[in-house]
Amino acid sequence: MGTIVATLARAGRRFVSSLPALFGVLVFTFLLMRVLPGDPAVFFASGPNAGQEEIEVIRRQLGLDKPLPNQLAIYLYDVGRGNLGRSMMTGQAVAKDLKERLPASLELTLTALLIALVSAVPLGVLAALRPGSLVDHGVRLFCSLGVCVPTFVSGLLLIYVFYYLLGLAPDPTGRIDIFATLPPSRTGFLIIDFLLAGDVEGWWAAARQLMLPALTMALFVIAPLARITRASMLVSLGSDFVRTARSVGLSWWRIVVTYALRNAILPVITIAGIVFSTMLGANVLVEKVFSWPGVASYALDALLVSDYAPVQGFVLLMATIFVIVNLLVDVLYGIADPRATVA
Amino acid sequence: MSFEMSKRSLFAATALLAVMLAAPSAHAQSRAETLRYVTGATVNTLDPNIPGSTREAFALSMSSYDRLVSFGRKQLNGKWVFDLDTITGELAESYQVSSDGLKITFKLRPDAKFQDGSPVTAEDVKWSLDRCVTAPILGKAQLLTGSLTSADQFKVIDPLTFEVTLPKPDKLALPNLATVYPIIINSKLAKAHATAEDPWALNWTKENAAGSGAYIVETFKPGEQVIAKRSEAWNRGAPDKPAAFKRLIIQSVPEPATRANLVERGDADLVIDLQASDVQSLEGKGKLKVISTPQYNAVTFISMNNTIPPFDNVNVRRAIAYALPYDDMFKAALFGRGAPLYGATWADGKPPSGGYPIPQPIKLDLEKARAYLKDAGMADGFSTTFSFNVGQAATAEPMAALVKESLAKIGIKVDIQKLPDAQMSTAINEKKLPFFTEGIVAWLPSTDYFYRNFYTGKQRWNYSSTDNAELEKIAQEARFEADKAKYEEQGKALNAIHFDQMFQIPIWQAAQDAVMQPTVDGYVYQFTRQVDYRNLSRK
Repeated sequence: MGTIVATLARAGRRFVSSLPALFGVLVFTFLLMRVLPGDPAVFFASGPNAGQEEIEVIRRQLGLDKPLPNQLAIYLYDVGRGNLGRSMMTGQAVAKDLKERLPASLELTLTALLIALVSAVPLGVLAALRPGSLVDHGVRLFCSLGVCVPTFVSGLLLIYVFYYLLGLAPDPTGRIDIFATLPPSRTGFLIIDFLLAGDVEGWWAAARQLMLPALTMALFVIAPLARITRASMLVSLGSDFVRTARSVGLSWWRIVVTYALRNAILPVITIAGIVFSTMLGANVLVEKVFSWPGVASYALDALLVSDYAPVQGFVLLMATIFVIVNLLVDVLYGIADPRATVA
Repeated sequence: MSFEMSKRSLFAATALLAVMLAAPSAHAQSRAETLRYVTGATVNTLDPNIPGSTREAFALSMSSYDRLVSFGRKQLNGKWVFDLDTITGELAESYQVSSDGLKITFKLRPDAKFQDGSPVTAEDVKWSLDRCVTAPILGKAQLLTGSLTSADQFKVIDPLTFEVTLPKPDKLALPNLATVYPIIINSKLAKAHATAEDPWALNWTKENAAGSGAYIVETFKPGEQVIAKRSEAWNRGAPDKPAAFKRLIIQSVPEPATRANLVERGDADLVIDLQASDVQSLEGKGKLKVISTPQYNAVTFISMNNTIPPFDNVNVRRAIAYALPYDDMFKAALFGRGAPLYGATWADGKPPSGGYPIPQPIKLDLEKARAYLKDAGMADGFSTTFSFNVGQAATAEPMAALVKESLAKIGIKVDIQKLPDAQMSTAINEKKLPFFTEGIVAWLPSTDYFYRNFYTGKQRWNYSSTDNAELEKIAQEARFEADKAKYEEQGKALNAIHFDQMFQIPIWQAAQDAVMQPTVDGYVYQFTRQVDYRNLSRK
């Protein structure tokens, strides 16, 4: 019990200490967006016959007619009240857009991470058990292929094979078949919402839809995870406690899983945390290829047209998630290695 | 006995199979009544008047709202396109233009209903058009081009009669009422959602459609999809029928290769924005219907800023015009899909028509280009940048490479600059780019409209920063010219000035390639360069 309280207290302290960093991100992105060339008002007034007058109307709407410090003050005040501004691109409030789209991204990224971990950890362990063997080389080859093929190539390839040629996968657009009815939204995660609604058929449809994009993303991140597992397993297998465990005649399974792997898993958790954060932002291409209504493709579209509010909102969201993931990694650390909590 | 058994089990198996096959076919039935349209763009508002509306938003509003009138259709080289010269009633049962051309009187359909069931009255029309010319919205600048500028011009005569007064006869007044912006809104409903800061309920109409159109919006997710169902009360379809499709799905699929896969696999019914290479291969396979229409109200240009040296020198502009590798560009960028605007022959060097645009009598001729460059006093060439926006990279990138290669042969060194869309718009608006490619579109493609909007004034659309007194004078006069023969002469004069001064170089009208299932029927190329869902049916 004591350890849980200590862990929570530590997590709380860490979160509070990261608030200044979040504030910095907020101000920095605000300034960065305004320094970048490209005037959103001009872009959005691009309809036929939109002249200077229309540009001025949009500029006023976006508050761009005010001096920069005023704009910043208004922005900070708004963010403080949970208002991230309005997107010109979708015409919706950014907070609403992000709230609707974040579950899609999280569902995809978490599934991909799960697939990646489930395949990378055994692969890394296998490779570490027989370093230099055919298995080791095989794993290395697989990892290299995964990481050197860009996600949009592997994504399009998977679509081509599984949707276009074989017809096994559903059409690669969005999170669910367009003709299907959605379950009542509880968590925003379709595969959970369908289960909660007891709709097995719907769950299967959503899971099928999730398969290809998640696989595409997983392929890309298996390599770092497998490499780290292999390296730390090697260290751990060569250490004194494993030798001791062997000498007292413990079973092979127990040595590998309980002793070696438990000790080797710490760096894997660290990397998984980092991988998750980067995936969430970097899955732009996957989201584009699979028409996945997530936050990353939303931010990219906004960036292309200099739509300030969504980009700022996205960066803030990513920074917050990064902080939370780091906290989570800390907590997991404490569970995997109780000594870490003392530090 | 055993024979009997197997016969019975065979029967049972057949019945089971039939049931199994029948189950998905019920599903297929609903798909047959649905039009699934996939696009790379998104619908971002339900009111086309909101600044920043996308073209897909325009297309949806054509079906969710009615206007007073609409354009007819005509055949152009065997393909159906919108017809600027036939204006038919939409909400108006009939209309009458007074003999002096100053009054247009509309008789409204007595049976027209808004989607909430209330009747469409002249009051609604008045409120909607007042809004269009008063509120800070896109319709304002458009209606200006048809001499519709003030709420005083609109008058309710009785619940079903409505009158528009013009300061002088303007042939673009009526066509303007058929464009995207002057939608007729359910004014009672909209007024109920108006606020003191937002008297025209713009914030509400952005997310709610309150029209009398053929389709009722059911779900609207900007950036993802719009689902609409047919309004059974709408009877403006041919002849007096509701729209053919019961349901409409407009889905955003950003990846062009995926859009091609979807339509080829039969999961999507219609797509208009595929890559030229994909269209060509789909057409080659012969399984789908491909209707390829040159966008006859659009022009792609290579523009030069006439105020930035050395492009302020007419001979430099002419040199560039003769140094462009037109055929190679057309093949590389568009796979030859479209209508070229080069390589014509003009008898006696005079424009053969007063239309716009017309093919120019230019082709690649490096000798001529060198001579013009010499006349400009720049025999050794110069350096410049050629810009295009990322959004058009698929066609502009190969084009830019060919321009660079060809101009190098006459000593002009070109740096290629690829700009994000917003940055390109900004640079164009600030008149900062010397040399770039862009496209223009006019909903009402008449010669004077093109020249007035794209070759005069300081506004953004004057890409080449043209400032030519003679051109401006003729274009302004032509606007109100009622005599057809005189108008044609004015058009020819404008075309002659354009060619002589070479403000910018029209290169082609890209094709609009509509790729659809063979069962889809009724596609018409529209002034919005989008699909009018009301036209479509399944055979």
